[in-house]
Amino acid sequence: MPTVLIADDDIPNRLVLQAILERQGYCVLQADDGVQAVDVFRCEHPDLVLMDIRMPNMDGYEATRQIKAMSTDAFIPVIFLTATSDSEGLARCVASGGDDFFTKPYNRILLQARISALLRIRELYNTVQYQRNELDNHQKRFDREKQLAKRLFANIIETGSLGLPYVQSMLSPMSLFSGDILLAAPKPSGGLHVLLGDFTGHGLAAAIGALPVSSVFYGMTAKGYSIAEIVTEINTKLKMILPTDMFLAACVIDLNPGSHTLSVWNGGIPPVVIYGEKEQEITRSLSPRHLPLGIASDESFNRRVEMIEIRQDDRIYIHSDGITEAANPDGLMFGRQRLEDVFVKNTDSAELFNEIRNELIKFQDGGAQQDDMTMIELRYNQQQLEDTVFHDKAQSKRAEQPSSEWDFSMGLSADLLGCFDPLPLLIQSVCDMQGFRGQRQQLYTVFSELFTNALDHGILNLDSTLKGTADGFAKYYMEREVRLSNLADGSIKIYVAHRPSAEGGLLTIRVEDTGRGFDYQENQISLESNVGHSGRGIQLLNTICEKIEYMGNGNIVEVTYRWR
Amino acid sequence: MSVTSEVSTDDNTITIKISGRFDFAEQNEFRDCYYDTSPGENTQFIIDMSGANYMDSSALGMLLMMREYLGGNAANISIVNCSPDIKNILTVANFQSLFTMD
Repeated sequence: MPTVLIADDDIPNRLVLQAILERQGYCVLQADDGVQAVDVFRCEHPDLVLMDIRMPNMDGYEATRQIKAMSTDAFIPVIFLTATSDSEGLARCVASGGDDFFTKPYNRILLQARISALLRIRELYNTVQYQRNELDNHQKRFDREKQLAKRLFANIIETGSLGLPYVQSMLSPMSLFSGDILLAAPKPSGGLHVLLGDFTGHGLAAAIGALPVSSVFYGMTAKGYSIAEIVTEINTKLKMILPTDMFLAACVIDLNPGSHTLSVWNGGIPPVVIYGEKEQEITRSLSPRHLPLGIASDESFNRRVEMIEIRQDDRIYIHSDGITEAANPDGLMFGRQRLEDVFVKNTDSAELFNEIRNELIKFQDGGAQQDDMTMIELRYNQQQLEDTVFHDKAQSKRAEQPSSEWDFSMGLSADLLGCFDPLPLLIQSVCDMQGFRGQRQQLYTVFSELFTNALDHGILNLDSTLKGTADGFAKYYMEREVRLSNLADGSIKIYVAHRPSAEGGLLTIRVEDTGRGFDYQENQISLESNVGHSGRGIQLLNTICEKIEYMGNGNIVEVTYRWR
Repeated sequence: MSVTSEVSTDDNTITIKISGRFDFAEQNEFRDCYYDTSPGENTQFIIDMSGANYMDSSALGMLLMMREYLGGNAANISIVNCSPDIKNILTVANFQSLFTMD
């Protein structure tokens, strides 16, 4: 039952009121004057106060002011008890914080009605107050969680590799979390993988989908997987976790300075544009060939990658549809034509990226952003690409294993060679067994050179002199694709052995193919002077390995790699 | 309302007409057009885009939902009368591999 405080120096008056209120079931507290009223109020927290005006020590006005000052976060109705009804006195009641007044002599029924009306308002006020506080707390909690999630998100997605000298990018999310993602990671074999993705929708749901995408992309790139394998894995993951009406339009590219090639898998992203430095115009446009990721089942997923030749200082542009669909205040879209016009008008290709961005901002003219906008420019520079430092994210965090003795071998038949790249598996196995902290990239180069030589020259009979001509690189790699997919016979055996040594260990790798080999005695000199059979790969191996030895009829090669 | 559907007299074709913006706001109306139909094996669904001037990626998602509801690969859905812009959005996403398009 509500508690009512009666503050009145007139004892008979108090007793009358007490009788009325107690009969109606209220708990009653009493005070003789203003000072006592404030004290009782502070200790007992009544729900309502009946306040006489004229009292000794402290009058009703002052007591009311103090009581109201004490209860800012709750509504405590104060009803003044007054003998007169002069309007000036009543106005003072309200001015000091009173909520109502009641004139003597008391009418029991009226008094009861006034009290319950004010208590109802108090109840309502408390409910509103409570809800407001709840809402406030929710909002604070939500903001805190959002900020935390944003930090987590940024750490996981981390676009660190985008700070490369040959890369320019813009990411303009329309909400705190972007539905677009832009990832770049150097490969252990040199070169760069880039993924530009655009989830259906924006905000948190889209951002959550980005997490598995980035972990697969970074993890598999670091382990040496190809973009075909990476998109296949991402598609499987997204198909599993995304609802039917959500997907990721994505373009994944592999920029390869070793072969001067650009490989593209594009599912649902606007065409990838190549701007030729020599021609000073758009030379290629690679349309999306595939469904976005997360739609096709594993059986029907198409991992086919397009490969083209790329020349020094050519520029590659990839952008999300938020760029071409950016609208101006009249609702008109930026469109592909306006984008291409920027390329046509350009006179200094170094300025292209800025020109596109400025043109876009000018066109939007302060109009509201409708979608996440993302764009990246990559300038093909062989040297800078080769110098890009590979961060070994796949490095085992376990303590260094003791140097130990182990070996294994692997045999691959023609049908497997056509569709399976054993390198990531090999490197991962070797690093898991021995650690090789910080040496993954070197090991990758060794395994990759040996295996590629066996496959390209031993099994596929490709002629590396083809690479000597200007457009030979691309021809070579396209021919390689064709022969690989039609491969009917041949096999490659890989044997790996490790022996501990005093300061580290000795790793022996032997690769044997069923090809016809080559006259290694004859070719020894040309090999070492970096021409002929396997080109600069051998020179590279020479700098990494202690010993390179050819056997059989040149179809077997064994190298020794010493580590400390 | 910018989504309407009509059933042909021989009950073998259900045409859904889209007009104006085709986006998430139309989700319920669009779903109602195929949800309570009882399509026979030969029922053909036609999505008529002649009145549509814009679609976004959530509309692509709605098309995928429809396709799945109507049996995935077994669904018989055509998208017709697309404006160049709409057609561009559909072909960038390679939806011609999932839907019949003119």
